[in-house]
Amino acid sequence: MKVFNKKGLSALAAVAILAAACGGSTASTAGKTLTIGISFPLNGSALASAGPARDGALLAIKEASIEGYTLKAKVLDHAKEGAHNPDQAAADMLTFVGQEDVVAVVGPFNSASARAQIPVSSEAGLLQCSPSNTNPTLTKGADGEALRGGRNYVRVATTDDLQGPAVAVYAKKNGAAKIYILDSTDAYGKGVADAFEAKFIADGGTVVGRQGLPTGTTDFSAAATAAKAAGADSIFYGGVTSDGAPLFRNALAQAGLGALPFYGADGIYDGTSEGSYIAIAGANAENSYASQAAIENIPGKADFNVKFKAEFGKDAEGYAYAGYACAQIIIEGIAAAVAGGDVTRETVRAAVVDKGAAFETVLGSVSFDAVGDTTQRIISLYKVDGGAWKFVEEINYGN
Amino acid sequence: MSRIADAVNAPFAPVRAFFRKHRSFGIFVGVVLLSIALPLLTRVPPFDGIQSTNAWVNAFTTAAIYAMLAMGLNVVIGFAGLLDLGYAAFFALGGYTYAFVAAPFTGIHLPFWPMLLAGGVVGAIFGVLLGAPTLRLRGDYLAIVTLGFGEIVPITLMNADKFTDGVNGIGGIDKPSIPGILQFTLTNPWPMYGLVIALFSLIMIMIYRLEDSRLGRTWDAIREDELAAESSGVNIVIAKLQAFAVGASIAGIVGVVNAAKITIVTPDQFRFAVSISALAAVVLGGMGNTIGVATGAFIIYLFQSILLKQLNTLVENINIPVLNQIDFLDFQYVLYGIVLVLMMLKRPQGIFPARRRMREFAPLKIGKRGAK
Amino acid sequence: MATASVTSSTAGRLLGNLRLPLSILAFLGLALGVLGIDQFVNAMTLGAIYALVALGYTMVYGIIELINFAHGDVFMVGSFVAMFISSSLLGNEGAITNVPMLAASVLILFALTISVMALLGALIERLAYRPLRRAPKLAPLITAIGVSFILQNVIQFFFGPTIVTVPQLVPIEWSIQVSGSRVPLLNLFVIATSVILMVALQLFISRTRTGRAMRTTSMDRDASSLMGVDINRTIMITFLIGSGLAGAAGVVHGLYYGNTTFGLGFQSGLKAFTAAVLGGIGNTAGAALGGFLIAFVEVGASAFGYGRWGGAIVFSLLVIFLVFRPTGLLGSHTGDRA
Repeated sequence: MKVFNKKGLSALAAVAILAAACGGSTASTAGKTLTIGISFPLNGSALASAGPARDGALLAIKEASIEGYTLKAKVLDHAKEGAHNPDQAAADMLTFVGQEDVVAVVGPFNSASARAQIPVSSEAGLLQCSPSNTNPTLTKGADGEALRGGRNYVRVATTDDLQGPAVAVYAKKNGAAKIYILDSTDAYGKGVADAFEAKFIADGGTVVGRQGLPTGTTDFSAAATAAKAAGADSIFYGGVTSDGAPLFRNALAQAGLGALPFYGADGIYDGTSEGSYIAIAGANAENSYASQAAIENIPGKADFNVKFKAEFGKDAEGYAYAGYACAQIIIEGIAAAVAGGDVTRETVRAAVVDKGAAFETVLGSVSFDAVGDTTQRIISLYKVDGGAWKFVEEINYGN
Repeated sequence: MSRIADAVNAPFAPVRAFFRKHRSFGIFVGVVLLSIALPLLTRVPPFDGIQSTNAWVNAFTTAAIYAMLAMGLNVVIGFAGLLDLGYAAFFALGGYTYAFVAAPFTGIHLPFWPMLLAGGVVGAIFGVLLGAPTLRLRGDYLAIVTLGFGEIVPITLMNADKFTDGVNGIGGIDKPSIPGILQFTLTNPWPMYGLVIALFSLIMIMIYRLEDSRLGRTWDAIREDELAAESSGVNIVIAKLQAFAVGASIAGIVGVVNAAKITIVTPDQFRFAVSISALAAVVLGGMGNTIGVATGAFIIYLFQSILLKQLNTLVENINIPVLNQIDFLDFQYVLYGIVLVLMMLKRPQGIFPARRRMREFAPLKIGKRGAK
Repeated sequence: MATASVTSSTAGRLLGNLRLPLSILAFLGLALGVLGIDQFVNAMTLGAIYALVALGYTMVYGIIELINFAHGDVFMVGSFVAMFISSSLLGNEGAITNVPMLAASVLILFALTISVMALLGALIERLAYRPLRRAPKLAPLITAIGVSFILQNVIQFFFGPTIVTVPQLVPIEWSIQVSGSRVPLLNLFVIATSVILMVALQLFISRTRTGRAMRTTSMDRDASSLMGVDINRTIMITFLIGSGLAGAAGVVHGLYYGNTTFGLGFQSGLKAFTAAVLGGIGNTAGAALGGFLIAFVEVGASAFGYGRWGGAIVFSLLVIFLVFRPTGLLGSHTGDRA
């Protein structure tokens, strides 16, 4: 076998040379068509949360018009067996990188997929805007440093390290003293619950119990009974609606704790349409509190809702606004590049990332700091009142 | 027809004879030729319209990774006849082994190449650890134990936050490099392709040699009739453990490569679904037939991850207005399910059944219930 | 190789026969003491649902030695069929406080759902498993996985990927007091339904001609065929019953939790399957026992704040248990099946 190894190496070298030859021949300048990639997990339960973000982005791309260019969208789905798949996410990013007319990408939805995608897009210098990544380590700390190589990644969602504490402050103000915390064990749910717990304890609160029940759990009765036995006066749930937030709320009601205040973050702030927290928890949803990492009175909300409904025949919800905003930012970047006379991946990326410019979006004016996080650090807090989310107050963490 | 075939084949007879004698070399040449042909194929319609050659090559790399997994699983299921439903666990352990020693999370940065071996060793160790107490279980009970193990490993990786960073997984894993010559990057898939192809042929050659070895024949004997094999003096437990260890170490090695390729490992990457896909590849490809299994896995991966995901692009290219209105992503898993069912109904013994098994499945065992 | 010990004296045999009921009673007493009455009721209710699903697994395995991975999804489809019948056909919106009305609605709901699901189960058997009766053993396993994908995605297509609410017909406020704790009637209803169905199944299997045909077929298909048992019919009836029970579990799930989702089948299927194995796969009483056992482990883990480890504990228990008792709680020697 040893004899063949040498030949093997030369054969591989031949492959590599051939590859180089193939790779070199495709270079051609971008024509009149510019494509914006959309990369989300779009089947199974992942579709419920990422679908609106995709629709938002599609709507923005459809509406946009840039003199002399045709804007197109290309959607790739990186969910496998109903959950986002980092491997497929990275492969999809490579597909976008390889398609010459893709100038920027909206996505991904989940932080783990972002971690697989950012190294690829960063190597290629391809701009990427996530509507929903909230994990702080994507941009901050040593991890963020390692990941951020090319400075091509921005996100419009405020990180979990602000949202959790904001809800903690609010719960404390509401009189919560003994809290029971449940999280969904995934990156988002556990992250936001950790941040909540730290702040709540720092402010003198007591955590009477905490545990995690993974996505897919259907029976929350034991956790509800445990909360009752622990003598909790309030509940915090870290996770999203489809992880089981309303199921936990219903189980609490069945255990006789329906009157306790129930706190969550933006994972349960998802409107009132079918499948939302309020729709599933029904009457039990009263006295629930949630947050949103955005300002309440976003400028074009009513207008956007009408347009969205007209286009897709359903109400805008969840990350539809953020997906729309991401695409808007990219389109403004393209417009800036066009104005500069040269539309390439690099000019679009530079227009969004390097200039420190502010972008007018459906979420209001958005600009990015040195690591690509939004400078709009405002958390809005909501309460369920009469079967709908009512805005209560906002906490501004400044720039 | 056979006369024509003979006439056509006649000039190739010496070539065939040569490769029959030097099978390892034959495998190597075949794999390399195929690995050159595939990227060329992606430059002709309709493949070129789907994605760039680089993206295709990346897809082939991943497909080859799954093909290696399937070959490893085939050693356990196809050769030794042990149903393993938790194979992804060993894949995970290999990936985490490399992630522990080559990522910012621990701050250790060991070189990639020796870790390939380490991944294999870790896989083998866990294979033996799981196998030693459980291999005396018969048939489907063993399957359930492996299924349980396959669930325990990701749950543990997820909950042992201190050591694994929990659900976040370990990111920023070092890419391989040949110091001074070649640094692997993520946007250039060719070096990884070369590495995987080389590993692929090595593993395939190794498995073929194993199949013909004394050990391979022992596995045959056990699979066909455990009692008879035992009475003939075969140490069943040792032989089964060896099958488990070989299968697990292949998964471990492939896990290392996979981690280095994606640069992130998370517990969710290694759930039950991965074990099931590998199993489907083995059965669809033709249990017991190494090349068949590898081909099966390769095709299934491309079908599931390229064809189904890109159905929209494909239909757009064909440009039939009515079809353009449909979002085919909605139907991908229904299609996948239908294909699995139809393929199995059409060819229950797999697309490329092992020659020996083809004879087994010939309808002469009327009184025998099921196959062993 | 035989695991069952043979006791010769009559007293010994009597003790042997009583060993199982006694250990179950001891276990329940222990669980009640450790968990308290609230969590005990939670566990019994969850166990009742697992047990119903586990029965379908174990029956199918017993008769054709197929790990029917689609069965969890049949249960899921059952919960959607129940939801559809209850809210769309019967027009229910919430609790019904009028007792006769409630009883009528619940009975109709059970009857319709069980019938629909039994037919679906038989259809799946006819299309995806029967053609593979003489095929290699793993072939139907793969078609089962294919069927599972199809069921999940068809449901997702029609009902969406989100959690869907199901009318809770039995008012959750109704309850009785047991030593200071409030025990909802809903939980008792779930447990009672499950027990009634399980007893009915046991009677059916042990007392009827068809039941006897099922038992002989599972022992030796070819010999029973020679004795005049219609194998295809018997297997089809097994699927009818197993899927019907999954349909009943779907109804119960909806009434108890008030919701369902297309992904329900995977996790619960895995748990129910584990229950079937713990009990001794192929043994119907064992499957029920296994279902309750797993529910107690899960509820226990959650009650003491280790919910995130629940799955790992269940599966570790399974591995350890099988190492020491390779044929499960009530299983007998399985012979050479593999």
